[in-house]
Formats: sequence, C-alpha cells, structure tokens
Amino acid sequence: MNVLGMQTLFVKEVRRFMRVPGQTVLSPLISTTLYFIVFGYSISSRIHEVAGTPYLHFIVPGLVFLGIANNAFLNSSSSLFITKIQGTVVDLLVAPLGPGELMAGFIGGAMVRGLVVGGLTWAVATLFTGFSLEHAWVAAYFLLVSSYVFSVLGMLAAVWAEKFEQINFFPTFVMLPLTFLGGVFYSVRELPAPWNTISLFNPMVYMVEGLRYGMLGRSMYSPLYGGSILLGVAVVATAVTYFVLRSGYKMKA
Amino acid sequence: MSTPALELQGLTKRYGSFTALQQMDLTIRAGEIFALLGPNGAGKTTMIGSVCGLVKKTAGTIRIFGKDLDQDSVGPRYQVGLVPQEINFDPFFTVAESLRIQQGFYGQQRDEARVDEVLTALNLANKKDALTRALSGGMKRRLLIAKALVHKPRLVFLDEPTAGVDVELRRDLWTYVRKLASEGTTIVLTTHYLEEAEELADRVGIINEGRLLMVEDKTTLLRRFGEKRLVVTFDAPQSAPSDAARRFSARLSENGRTLTYVEREGAAPGGDLLRALYSEGLPIADVETRRSRLEDVLLEVLRGKPQPQVA
Repeated sequence: MNVLGMQTLFVKEVRRFMRVPGQTVLSPLISTTLYFIVFGYSISSRIHEVAGTPYLHFIVPGLVFLGIANNAFLNSSSSLFITKIQGTVVDLLVAPLGPGELMAGFIGGAMVRGLVVGGLTWAVATLFTGFSLEHAWVAAYFLLVSSYVFSVLGMLAAVWAEKFEQINFFPTFVMLPLTFLGGVFYSVRELPAPWNTISLFNPMVYMVEGLRYGMLGRSMYSPLYGGSILLGVAVVATAVTYFVLRSGYKMKA
Repeated sequence: MSTPALELQGLTKRYGSFTALQQMDLTIRAGEIFALLGPNGAGKTTMIGSVCGLVKKTAGTIRIFGKDLDQDSVGPRYQVGLVPQEINFDPFFTVAESLRIQQGFYGQQRDEARVDEVLTALNLANKKDALTRALSGGMKRRLLIAKALVHKPRLVFLDEPTAGVDVELRRDLWTYVRKLASEGTTIVLTTHYLEEAEELADRVGIINEGRLLMVEDKTTLLRRFGEKRLVVTFDAPQSAPSDAARRFSARLSENGRTLTYVEREGAAPGGDLLRALYSEGLPIADVETRRSRLEDVLLEVLRGKPQPQVA
C-alpha cells in the first residue's frame, strides 16, 4: 500500500480547500447560520418545544448535519470532478495510487471540510443555545459516519459526472429533498402517514436523529439501530465506489 | 541481456468498432531512447495511455521491467513518468508544491534538493514559488516535464513534450533527455518534430492506423530508406542530358537549368557524377546536396513502400 501517496493526496485535498476558506468554509457557515436564525427564530415563536426539547435546541444537530453533509459531498465531488475537467486526473491515474489510496485521500480531505464546517456551525449555535453534548461517543460516531457517507457519495458523483450540470444533479435532486425530509427542522414522527413511514427509508433521518441523541440525549430511534443502518450504508457506498474506481469507469478511456 | 523496460505483446485497444491499437508487439530496451512516430490518430497516445494506466486495453500483455500489469497494475507504476500531450495544472498550488505532491504520490519523502535540481534543469528555478496558473504556456509545459521526472522514474514517456514551446526549451530538453538516457533512464518519445526524433532517438518505431509498421535502429533506417540528393545548377540551360547524366540516370529539369541525382544505398557516389560533369566541361554554377531526413523516411513508410517489419 502506498501510504505516503495516500497521505500526500489527503494533505493536498485539505490544503486545496484551505486555500479558498471564504468559499469552502465561511460561505457554508454563513448560510447554515442563516438557516438557524431564520428558521429557528421564526418557527420557535410558534413551536416552543419538540418532544420536550426547546425548538432552537432541537434544530442544532440537524443544522450541524447539514453543514457536514453538504460540505463533505461538495469537497470530494468538486475536487475529483475538477481534476477530470482540468486533466490533472492524469497525475492520479499514472501514479501508483490504487482505488483504496484514492478513496482515502479524497474522502479524508472531504471529511475534514465537512467536520470543520459542522463544528463551526455547532460553535455558532452554542452562542444562541448554550453547549450541549450528552453522549460524546455517539455524537462523534454520527458526525464521522455522516461525513464519511457524503464524502463517498461525492466521489461517486464526480466519477459519474461528465458535465458541470451533472455534478449538481445529486445535491439538487437527491440530497436537498432528502435533507428537508430528514427531520432537520421537525420531528419525522409528526409527519402524516404515509410520509412518516417513507421517512424510515431515508438514511438522513438516522444521521440527524443519531446526532440529536449524542448532542441532546433524545432521539426517535435507538442510536444503535440508526448507527447500524448507517454502517451498512457506508459499507455499501464504499464497496460500490471501490469497484467503480477499480473498473476505471469514466476515469479511463 | 537486461530485462526490457517495456514489453508489449498483442496489445489491442478497441473503441466499439474502431480499433485504435491492433496486436501491437514491441520491446523497448532499458536505457534506450525510442521514438514512436506516426500521423495524428495513429495510436501513439493510446499505446502510452495503455501502459500508463489511462486507457483500458482490450487485449494483450504489458510488462514494465518484467512485471505484468495484469498481475500488478500499481507496483510497476513507481518506475514510470509521463509527460502528457495536453497541458494540465492545478491552479491552487505553486510550482514547487506541485513537484512535492508528485514526489509524495510516488511514495517518496520530500526531497527539496531533487525539486531544485529538476527546476534548474528545466529553467524554472526562478518560478519555484509562483502559482502554476501564473506561468506562461511554455513554462506550464516545462512544469509538466518536471512533474514527470521529479520522482526519478526509470521509464519516461514524453508524449509530444515540445509541442508549442520555443526553440530554446526544445534544445534544453534535448540536452536533459540525453543526460537522463546517459544515466540509464529509458525514454519513449512521440513527437511531430521529426528533427527531435532524429536528434535523440536510438531506435524508431513507425505506427499508423493502430499498427506498428516497423521498428528499426535510427541510423539503419536512415541508411536503408534514406537517400542523398545532388542538385547541380547550370549557368546556361542544357538542351539534353549529357552522357554523364545519362550514365548516372540523373534527371534534367524541364528548363534545362538543373540536374538532379538521387543517391541511394549501393549507387555510385554523387562525387563521381560531379567529376564527370566537370570533365565534360559543363557550365556548373552551383551544387547543392541534401540528405534525406527522418521526415522523408516516415512519409515513405507511411506510403507503404517497405514491408511491415516488427521488432
């Protein structure tokens, strides 16, 4: 295994997004904070509590999740896609980097960006709600698994996409609806049938609820149940991406 | 005999019904400079891409320093460097950072001395800390070459490395390529500047429509297919070829001003004809000789004159 190659790609990915922090960290932080202020304050005047938790506190885990998911996905998808467009993918394909090394580098870098934005969102939220961390290990697990899954999906989208339009397909038509149906701003249990049942097939629900358990100590689902589902999602996404990369699909002529 | 740097056996690449490479057999010796020549779309870049992991081959075997890529597709790539045809650069990084990243990709620890050495050799030392997007086109091309060499590969592919660069860089690169070869690096070169291949190559392969038409030692090739032209210009037009001209099968131009003699291998030397013309007392004003170049040989081979021959 080319450990140094993998490490180099990881460091390169982190440096890449840190070269443009206004675009990669500050901008998503501001938009997530705006969600918090606009949704939080406008709705909390009418909904004071959700399942015994003040509404402003209730939405913090979901907003942290949003920051992680969007930025982890955007980092791996845009970075890999741009290497394809710029032609620098040649450097990666010629170098002794197998699918495992490529995944570790891109996914690692994307996770860092997702976690940085998620962490900063959390820090901003604590200014309004105070700090709450009930189950640190559970929160850490769901933070990591969420950022991991979206980093992998971002990579997969970048491999598949051939045009800029296609790279936006997944965030617009898949991520956005699932995010808003994922219980970020409300409790999925309060949805009318059949939507509450359909929501059970949305992995984002488990990500948000798992984080909610870790941060607030309350969740609709057992974190073990949600965590297991997400582990399964992560394993499947990893396997698919690995085999797609190994096959050279849309990466090699 | 040492292990060949590269061995291709039956290498084939098809895109649907189009065959880009057809049953290519080729052995490239360690330490040689090999020029692969052919028109656009002949299959040169497809061959290089297949070896370097950019193209999925349809059939055949590729061995790099004896290691079969089907058995281990990653390991042999530590030994390979590629200067791609298309210029690419990562705008987020400086010239030196790009080279350090490249070292890391090849599993090497940061080696600042090597970075400086390559940058100096390619006349980029004063741009070490410049962002790659700020470089001119020629400098970006130099950077591509530096990136391909910084990890000290034993097998380097130069896919039209001097396309669109100035004469100075071309000369610098030739000097550097010769230095690399003298140190034991194997170089595979494709180029449209046949002067470049003629200047550098030990052996030449000619490819067309995905088929390797021939592989030959450069000097042998030039001797076998090459010719020397002797053009004699007269002060006054001649009405007919002289006896000497007829004896040597030299051709008199329509206006009677010039006489052309083509000297192929085994034919009488042009000097004999000149002596005969002088002894006939003809009014010779000027004499010009021109040895055929690789370009002429390539055209001749592509026109199908010799039989396909593969080494």
